[in-house]
Amino acid sequence: MASSFPNPFSSFAPTTSTSTSTPSPISLHPSLRLSPSPRFRNPRRQSLTVKASLTTTPGSPNVLLQVKNLTAVIAESKQEILKGIDLVVHEGEVHAIMGKNGSGKSTFSKVLVGHPDYEVTGGSMMFKGENLLDMEPDERSLAGMFMTFQAPVEIPGVSNIDFLHMAWNARRRKQGLPELGPIEFYSILYPKLESVKMDATFLNRNVNEGFSGGERKRNEILQLAVLGADLAILDEIDSGLDVDAFQDVAKAINALLTPNNSVLLVTHYRRLLDFIKPMYVHVMVRIIRFYAFSRIKNPTGRLNGNMASEDGKIVKTGDISIADQLEKEGYKAISVV
Amino acid sequence: MVCSSTFPIPSPPLPHPFFPPKPKAKALFRAPRASLSDPLVLQIAETLEDSTSHLPTSPALQRLRDSSSQSLLSSSSWPSRKDEAFRFTDTSFIKNSLIQPIPLDPPQFPLPIHAQFPNCLALVNGRIAGSASPTSGLPQGVYVGSVLGIPSEGIAKRVSEFLGEFRGGDLFWSLNGIGAPDVAVVYVPEGCRVETPLHLSFLCGVSGGFGEGVMPVANPRVVVVVERGGEVGIVEEHGGGGDDECYWANSAVEILVSEGAKVTHCYVQQESANAAHIKWTVVRQESSSVYNLVEIGTGGKLSRHNLHVQQVGPDTATELSTFHLCLRDQTQDLHSRLVLDHPRGYSKQLHKCIVAHEAGQAVFDGNVRVNRFAQETDAGQLTRTLLLEPKASVNVKPNLQIVADNVKCTHGAAISNLEKDLLFYFQARGLDLETARSALVFSFGAEVIEKLPYASLRKNVETRIKNLIRSFDSQRKKVTPVLE
Repeated sequence: MASSFPNPFSSFAPTTSTSTSTPSPISLHPSLRLSPSPRFRNPRRQSLTVKASLTTTPGSPNVLLQVKNLTAVIAESKQEILKGIDLVVHEGEVHAIMGKNGSGKSTFSKVLVGHPDYEVTGGSMMFKGENLLDMEPDERSLAGMFMTFQAPVEIPGVSNIDFLHMAWNARRRKQGLPELGPIEFYSILYPKLESVKMDATFLNRNVNEGFSGGERKRNEILQLAVLGADLAILDEIDSGLDVDAFQDVAKAINALLTPNNSVLLVTHYRRLLDFIKPMYVHVMVRIIRFYAFSRIKNPTGRLNGNMASEDGKIVKTGDISIADQLEKEGYKAISVV
Repeated sequence: MVCSSTFPIPSPPLPHPFFPPKPKAKALFRAPRASLSDPLVLQIAETLEDSTSHLPTSPALQRLRDSSSQSLLSSSSWPSRKDEAFRFTDTSFIKNSLIQPIPLDPPQFPLPIHAQFPNCLALVNGRIAGSASPTSGLPQGVYVGSVLGIPSEGIAKRVSEFLGEFRGGDLFWSLNGIGAPDVAVVYVPEGCRVETPLHLSFLCGVSGGFGEGVMPVANPRVVVVVERGGEVGIVEEHGGGGDDECYWANSAVEILVSEGAKVTHCYVQQESANAAHIKWTVVRQESSSVYNLVEIGTGGKLSRHNLHVQQVGPDTATELSTFHLCLRDQTQDLHSRLVLDHPRGYSKQLHKCIVAHEAGQAVFDGNVRVNRFAQETDAGQLTRTLLLEPKASVNVKPNLQIVADNVKCTHGAAISNLEKDLLFYFQARGLDLETARSALVFSFGAEVIEKLPYASLRKNVETRIKNLIRSFDSQRKKVTPVLE
C-alpha cells in the first residue's frame, strides 16, 4: 500500500529543510518538562513541552506551525470559543488533540485554515514562518495546510474529478508548473484511488453528493493523498466510520506519513491513536474555572499536569498515556483535583 | 315548486382552451368596433395586418389571422402591472418604442450552420428562409416547411384543426396570429420515429440595424403535429443578427402530441442584449404521450416565456426544465401552466435561475392544476434561484391547485446566495474565491443543461454559458476588485 505513495507530500515545493538536526537546547522550567516515551516514532525531539518550545526562534526550519495565545470568537455572535491556545508542531510530528464535545478542538482546526465563521481576536499563528492571519484560506491551503472536514459539504453540479483536477492545477500554478490535462491527471489520480479503496465511479459523481458518511471521509483522504500537505489537520476523521472503513482510512493516512510532514489529529477516541501513533497528545476540556493538578503521572513519575483553568484552552499536554487515562476514566481524570 | 336557494345557479361553462366556439365575425382594424380596445394595440394590429395582407395565404393561415383579430378585438389592451400575469414584468420597454413590422425580405445576415443537425429550418424575421431549409433527410411522410406548401389534403386538415385553436393566450399571442407572415409546419405521421432531431433557427434583424427608437417586431409561428405513436426531437434556437440590435421577437409554437407520441423539445434563447423576446409555447398532450422540454434562456433585455401544457388524455408524462441566467440589466420570465384533467398523469418541473446584476430580474409563475378527474396524478415542481447581487430581484409564484383527492404533488421554492460553506470548501482546497464562484454558478445551471439530450448542443450551451460567466466575472472584477 505504502509503495503506491512514493512521496505524496512532495507535491509541494518543499520549503522546509529535510535535515534531522536536533533543535537547539532550550532551557526549561522543570515543571514544564515532558519526557516523551521511547516509542515515539521520531526520536529527534526528546524534551520539549508545548510552552517551552515557544522559546525556539520563530521561523527556524523545523518549526512548522506555531500558535501563540490564540483567541477566537464566533463571527456572528462574538461568543468566545478559543481562549489562549498555544501549540507548536515541528516537521514530522504527529499531534493529537482530544477533548469533549464543545471544548473547541474542531473550532481550533477551522480557525487554523481560516474558516469565515470564526474571527481571531488575539494571539498569533505562524506557518512555515509566515503569518497565517495575513493569508486567505486558499493561500493557506496552497502553502501546505490541509484540513479534512468533519462533515464535508455536497457540491451539486461539480464532479469529483473536475474538483480534484481544478485543485491540483491550482497547486501546479502556484509552483509555476504547467497545468495538467485531464488524461495526465487521471494517471496520477488512479493509484491514489486504490489506496483509499474507492471505486473509480466516484470520480464522475458530484462532490460528496449522495455519499455515505464513510464515503465522504474516504473522499477527504483521497483529496489529501492527491493534493498532499505539509500539515494535515484531520478533524474527527474517525467519526461515522465502520470497522473496515476505519482501517482503510487509517492505513491510507499512515501511508502518507513521511519524516517531513506533520499531522494534527482531532479526535474523541483512543481507537484512532492505536493506528496513527501520536507523539504528543493535547487535551482541551471545557470545565469550570479552577486550578488543578491532574492525577496522571508521566513516565518519570512526576505529576504531569499543567494548570487547568478555563475552557477553550489546551489544558494538558503529554504522551499517549493521557489518551489511555482518558479512555479509562473519562475527561474527569483531567479536570478533577 | 319551491326552489331552494342552496342550489347554486349554474354558471355558463368556461370556454375549453382548445375547443372554443368558432368566431363569427371578421375583424377589421380600420373601423374599431370594440370600444374597450387600446388605440395603441389597434394601431399595432393594423400595421401588422397591412404587412401581411399582400402575402400569399392558405385557408388555415387565413383562419388563424381571422380568429386572432377577433380575440384581440374582444379583449386586449396593452398589459400593465395591474394585470396579474404581468404584475412583475414590465413591458413598457416595448410599448414605449415605435413598433413596426420587421422587413420580411431579403434576410442579409449569415444563417447559422449546424453540422450536427442536418435537418434544419430557419425562420428569418418570421419567414421561412428557403435556401436554409434542407430537410430532405427526413423519413417518408414527414413534412417540414411552410403551411402554404403542405403536400396533402390530410395533413392540411390536421394542421388546420389544431392551428390557433388555443384560446388562453394574451395580447402577444393574438398579435402573433395577426402578424405571422407564414406558419412553419412540422408534421410527423402515425408511428413514425424521426431519428435525427429537427433544428429550428429563429432569427431576427437586418444588416445595419434599425433607426433610433424603432422596435421592429417579427412574428414567427410554428405548428408541430405528431400523430399517434410518432416521435420527434425539436431544437429551437432563438437569436439575433447583431449583438446589441433592438428588435422584438414575438414567437409562438404550438405542439400537438397525439396518443402514445413523444416530443423532446429543446429551447435555447440567446437574443441580442437589447431585444425583447416574447414567446408562447402551447402543448396539447393526448393519452400516454410524452413531452419533455429543456429551456435555456440567457439573452434579451426582456424575455417572457408563456408555457401552456394541456393534458387531454390519461397517462401522460411531462417534464419541464428551465434555466434562466440574468447577468445584465435584463428580465427573464417564465409563466408556465400545466393543466391535468385526466388520471395518472406524471409531471416534473424544475426551474432554476441566477440573477447576478443589481438591475437584473427573474420572474417565475408556475401553475399546476390538478383537476377533479386527474386522480393518481404525480406532479412535482421545484424552483431554485441564486441571487448574487444585493439589489438583484426575483419574483417566484409557484402554485399548485389541486382538486382531485388521490394525488401526489410536491413543490418547493428556494432563493439564496452562494452558500458560504461551499465557497469555503473550494478555498480549503486551494481554489480562490473567484474560481469557486464561477464553478458554483455554472454548476447551479448544469443540472438543467445536463438534461439537454444532444451532446453537441449540450457542449455548445455549456461553452456559451461558461464564456458568459467568465466575461461577466472579469467585468465585475474591474468594477469591484474585492469579491464579497
